[in-house]
Amino acid sequence: MRGFVASQDAKVLFRDIRAEAGITYAHHSAPEKKFISESMSGGMALLDYDNDGRLDVYFVDALTVENAHDPRAARSVLYRNLGGNRFEDVTDAAGVAHPGWGMGVCTADVDGDGWEDIYVTNLGPNALYHNNGNGTFADIGAQSGVTAGGWSTGCGFADYDRDGDLDLFVSRYVKLDLEHLPEFGKGGAGMVKGSTGRGADCQYRGVAVQCGPRGLPGEGDLLFRNDGHGRFEEVSQQAGVSDPHHYFGLGVAWFDADEDGWLDLFVANDAGPNFLYMNQKDGTFKEVAFPAGVAVSEDGAEQGCMGVAVGDYENAGRFSIFVTNFAEEYNAFYRNVGTYFTDWSFRTKTAPSSLPFVGWGNGFLDYDNDGWLDIIVGNGHVYPQLDQAKLGASAPYRQRRLLYHNRGDGTFDEVAQQYGPALNEPRVSRGLTLGDLDNDGRMDVVIADLDGYPLVLHNELADAGNWLLVKLRGKPKNTSAVGAVVTLRAGALTMKRLVRSGTGYISQDDKRLHFGLGAATKADWLEVLWPDQTKTRRENVKANEVLEIRQE
Amino acid sequence: MRRGLVFAIVASLAAPALAGAGGAAGQARATGQARPPGQGKLELQPGLKRARAEFAEGRIVEAAQLYRALAEQHRSVQALLGLARIQSGVGDARGALDVLERARQLAPNSEEVLGAQARVALAARSPVIATRALEALARMVPSVMENQYLLGVALMQAGDMPSGAVALEEARKLEPNRALTLVALGFAYNGQKLYAEARPHLLRALEIDGTDVEALAALAESEEGLGELEAAELHAKRALARDQNHAIANLVMGLVRMKQERYEEAREALEKAVKTDPTSAKTQYQLSLACARLGDEAGQKAHLDLYTKAQKENAERLRDLQGAAGTGRGGM
Repeated sequence: MRGFVASQDAKVLFRDIRAEAGITYAHHSAPEKKFISESMSGGMALLDYDNDGRLDVYFVDALTVENAHDPRAARSVLYRNLGGNRFEDVTDAAGVAHPGWGMGVCTADVDGDGWEDIYVTNLGPNALYHNNGNGTFADIGAQSGVTAGGWSTGCGFADYDRDGDLDLFVSRYVKLDLEHLPEFGKGGAGMVKGSTGRGADCQYRGVAVQCGPRGLPGEGDLLFRNDGHGRFEEVSQQAGVSDPHHYFGLGVAWFDADEDGWLDLFVANDAGPNFLYMNQKDGTFKEVAFPAGVAVSEDGAEQGCMGVAVGDYENAGRFSIFVTNFAEEYNAFYRNVGTYFTDWSFRTKTAPSSLPFVGWGNGFLDYDNDGWLDIIVGNGHVYPQLDQAKLGASAPYRQRRLLYHNRGDGTFDEVAQQYGPALNEPRVSRGLTLGDLDNDGRMDVVIADLDGYPLVLHNELADAGNWLLVKLRGKPKNTSAVGAVVTLRAGALTMKRLVRSGTGYISQDDKRLHFGLGAATKADWLEVLWPDQTKTRRENVKANEVLEIRQE
Repeated sequence: MRRGLVFAIVASLAAPALAGAGGAAGQARATGQARPPGQGKLELQPGLKRARAEFAEGRIVEAAQLYRALAEQHRSVQALLGLARIQSGVGDARGALDVLERARQLAPNSEEVLGAQARVALAARSPVIATRALEALARMVPSVMENQYLLGVALMQAGDMPSGAVALEEARKLEPNRALTLVALGFAYNGQKLYAEARPHLLRALEIDGTDVEALAALAESEEGLGELEAAELHAKRALARDQNHAIANLVMGLVRMKQERYEEAREALEKAVKTDPTSAKTQYQLSLACARLGDEAGQKAHLDLYTKAQKENAERLRDLQGAAGTGRGGM
């Protein structure tokens, strides 16, 4: 079924180049994770903030309960890509070091000035770093009306009302009072009335652990509508996306699930049913996750959902959803069959290998350029106490990554263990981002770690296929072309990719669209469907280049 | 539904612990007036002998009074065991468990006391008490297959499938060809979605007894989970040929038809499954999906409501059990 098959003998795939790249950033977190707020951070972004054609990297750092009142105790870091896999810390000059108790991040050119801006979600007010176009940023969160408050996690920009500018959705997690935190292993303060406050909420298989999220009150989600003049209006309730039950929101994905030309919204909820909001084309949404088949597991169990990946893994022209989940729950693969989804987790053969792990960042990527989207998942538990307890079936605190190779027949092989320490050294992974750091056409992966250095995984697969990297430049005020879809034909394959703001677990992938072409030396044609539904077509596009397409 | 099977297995295995009591209780009710035990202090051994004789002759009330008096006067473990046997026989499981807890305080390492406590607790669907007793027993005499087996079943009842599977594997090592253990293992692995691990045990169970309807249904569940729809359908149909109302077999048929996008047939099979086991959240959820695919919005909502109710009740029950046992599944 496949046009091009990468050699199964190739053992070098990713190599961690963090140290030689000059990336010294390490994420901060309290070692014991006595409180849930100390386990959830670790978003990161790949973006070209200086428009030099090279991907830069922004890591979001976190505070701890102990130093929560000292915002400078955490330092988020922006690295400028110098080329040649070398990076320079430009954080202080850029002014993006201290957004608060950082969690996640998403990027887009919010004001249409041609420069990518950065939105950081926090436990506390969020920051919107406006890119001044000269290497510096200014936090305009308050004046733009998008600070949100509470505990924000996921975010994503999208033009849901098709008025030409980018709106913003923010998922929120737990309602937490730092002055009255539930007691480690016991509960008490901060727990929901009626919750035991002891037992299941603060214990894991007989071991005392941090409390929550079950037993803690959740927070509603927020939709901010861009008024086109630099201000955002919070319209969550009117739009029908406010999450009145206050589920524990994490990963966010804007995409057109039913291909009606209007962006829909998927929200991964931890320990609760997910949301699928279908765009009603009038500024409102209808929540349909249950009838659509994406709310819960095949058993009807609410899962601990974290990251969301969206991709056309079958080259069938439809975007399916892949969600990472807690240990002893399988990662959910919701196959898009047109008007609804089916839980295809076991049929794709991705589920069994995921069961021991707590999954976070995830994404579809074609790592061997064979034209079929593969999958990568970052894992790591939330309870360091597991390593002191002998819990039999449960995986330890630090965990390896999962890499699924697409067989081209609707199923995947889990192949990470073929590829050495870069994928197998145990880590406490959180945010995971995909992008081509050195513009060599092979997709690299950067994975944030809750407890230390990130992994900067440089793709060094020797016999990868041909490729095309498509950079879209939309019309103002959506120059990032968020929501645009590119369909490409090469040989026997027709592939489809989507520009997203907010990806995986509270992170941001490269917005350029990567196509593996296998043995094909050109794309027969490609077509851009811009967010305003206009189209641009190119034919006979030469392989192995970065192709920029501007909307006319 | 799976829990239903576990309870059924447990009930069948727990029965020997109660042997004689039920029948004697029936006779006791028939004999009517009870004779009071003699006044003053009773000698222990003659008293126990007399109580056993009363019990054997069907005078249950007299036997119970004697055992109670002996237990109070002599702090006798044997008297407490006799009393618990009578109480569980007449359906007073809670009273029997209280009495056995007193016996355990007097003789914490008595295999007889621990075994009785475990069996009564399992029959009474008190898996936390059963687990504690069985863990102690399994530590003391790890080579007794039945202790490991019952521990596995108790852990499954308590919602701890991974630990249940570990205990059941121990039981299987001790007696590899016991069909009950193999079927329970199949359920423990299916319950964790470890279908590939479940299948060989279920195939072996069917080699031992090819007509075992539980093994057939569980195998069908494994195969459906592995995406082998034809095999799943074959085994589900074989199970249904023996029991047309079998909840798991009908659920598997429903799941197979859902994947084949034959939604009318899926709904029909799932409706049969839900008739047998209306408390299954999974079946109600799948039925709501089948209705949604058929454009039956009212049916979809009705079964979604039933799913939500079942889900809530199951979650509360599990939460209580795990809270009592200190085995919470945590938050995410």
